[in-house]
Amino acid sequence: MRHTAALPALVLLAALAAGSCSRPSERAQGTTIGVSLLTRGHMFYRDLEEGLRSAAEERKYTLIISAAEFDLGKQTAQIEDFVARKVDAIILSPVDSRGVGPAIRKANAAGIPVFTADIAAQEGDVVSHVASDNRGGGRLAAETIARFLDGRGTVAIINQPAITSVLDRVEGFREGLAEYPGITVIADVNGQGVRDKAMAAAADVLQAHPDLGGVFGINDDSALGALDAARQFGRGRLVIVGYDANPSAVDAIRRGTQLRADVVQFPKVIGSKTIEVIALHFAGSAPPAVVPVEVAVVDSVSLSRQRTD
Amino acid sequence: MGGSTHGTSRRLPPETGIAAGLLAELVAFSLLSPHFLTGENILNVTLQISITAIIAAGMTFVILTGGIDLSVGSLLAFVGVTVAGMAKLPLPPAAATALALAAGLVLGALSGAFAGTLITRFRITPFIVTLALMTVWRGLAFIVTGGRPVWDLPEAFSVMGNGRFAGVPIPTLLMVATFALSWVVLERTRFGRHVLAVGGNAAAARLAGIPTGRVLVSVYALCGGLTALSGVLLASRLNSGQPNAGLMYELDVIAAVVVGGTSLNGGRGSVTGTFIGAMLIGVLRNGLNLLNVDSYVQQVVVGVVILAAVMADRLRRRD
Repeated sequence: MRHTAALPALVLLAALAAGSCSRPSERAQGTTIGVSLLTRGHMFYRDLEEGLRSAAEERKYTLIISAAEFDLGKQTAQIEDFVARKVDAIILSPVDSRGVGPAIRKANAAGIPVFTADIAAQEGDVVSHVASDNRGGGRLAAETIARFLDGRGTVAIINQPAITSVLDRVEGFREGLAEYPGITVIADVNGQGVRDKAMAAAADVLQAHPDLGGVFGINDDSALGALDAARQFGRGRLVIVGYDANPSAVDAIRRGTQLRADVVQFPKVIGSKTIEVIALHFAGSAPPAVVPVEVAVVDSVSLSRQRTD
Repeated sequence: MGGSTHGTSRRLPPETGIAAGLLAELVAFSLLSPHFLTGENILNVTLQISITAIIAAGMTFVILTGGIDLSVGSLLAFVGVTVAGMAKLPLPPAAATALALAAGLVLGALSGAFAGTLITRFRITPFIVTLALMTVWRGLAFIVTGGRPVWDLPEAFSVMGNGRFAGVPIPTLLMVATFALSWVVLERTRFGRHVLAVGGNAAAARLAGIPTGRVLVSVYALCGGLTALSGVLLASRLNSGQPNAGLMYELDVIAAVVVGGTSLNGGRGSVTGTFIGAMLIGVLRNGLNLLNVDSYVQQVVVGVVILAAVMADRLRRRD
């Protein structure tokens, strides 16, 4: 009886020993920064995390990296843990730009500076926001799709609403299309930003619109989901433009699939710039409230140019 | 509930093993992290587990009858967005908040009673009924909000989830009150005895004249009502109604109940065990975060500890 009661305790201690070996010890004195990412399941965030890690390593900052996995309750708890632990700064990619407000205010009340990366917060005091120019990226996507469609036809958006960066992208995309009166947006569906859901949503759109000209996927999973659906429906002439330029998307562009072009962001730069901005703040100077990180377009032409360079 | 007169080891309450596990966690984390054993952090842990723990109190009754409720995470979201919408009614903020709270609790209890009625009237297994309702409530949460969070709630609404009374977070106080009341209901009332009897042997309970149908509807209504209370608290804590809140919460809730020693076959278990189970999982998550353990590793550790706790319980009962 006594020995069975001790079993969970033993397992726990073993697990803790294993867990604490896998990360540098928190006892290293110095600057500690708590990070709550939107997710660790996307390529983009893995790159952003890498940018954070390498820049933090250079400056000997300790990072505590956690991910909310799209659950605002979980993110709130992570921020509360950082406040209880009295970290020196917090980096967030909010699950919901406004819903994260109460948690940010708790950090504000504790005097811990808050920075956002990729996704902005609309409530609470944030020192600085580092992100791609998403509106500009959306406009680039619109110009690109219009170029491939020769300024005529119908397009659908595989969307993921309620995330500011995506809202900005889609707003920029619609703004950009406004300059091409020959192109109309006939569908705007929620693919939830993941490939399987995006494929189902895109399949429904293709089913409903046999003459659809183009698709804008708000990230690569959305664009690749649309590509899966286009294959299933045998729509060889569909023009898909994605966002993020992950390796699998770049590969699809290179192979000459319906995914013709991608807006490319530089998540590693977002990560490293965020750390630089924090260093500026620690040094006593006031960093700008918004730090934009440039975006670009890749298509088969730019990819082959890259190769020959 | 008379004490047994067998050997001394039999006199230990059934929660001893899991309580020892929790104690081991507390000692281990106190030694490993200087940030763990502070009053503020312990309050922080109780605040964080309050949402799932309150639901777990209700789930304990459901599982004691041999049932299960998979719909709690979705119901939490549906109630949360409904309540958030009501809090924005053009009334004085305090009145709107009170009205929203009352309506939310009624909505939750009615939803639970609906599930209970489907289970008893049509003899569909609880697993299927609540699995179906899980997607129904989630869908309704998206329908009433159009898929977007409900924002701009009055300041008065955020007090329940973010305020403190005598230095203790209000959700923590509500959680303690919920467990105290649940303990009284289960251990000291006729209804509590009926719940245990129905879970132990439904046929025998019916022969003994216990209204099994009414007992079942009541436990699902109770679970729904407590889920609604958590839904209101979460919406208040986040100062918004999130249609995708509570994803997979049913698993956290069921884990707390099972780690607490309540049998999934019904008839045996306690709310005290559930409370300790919820604390054990909450302390583990918090401690691993404070120790900067990688989030991938954390998921494995939490799963292993749940398994270990249930295994230890199983071994003890075989002794």
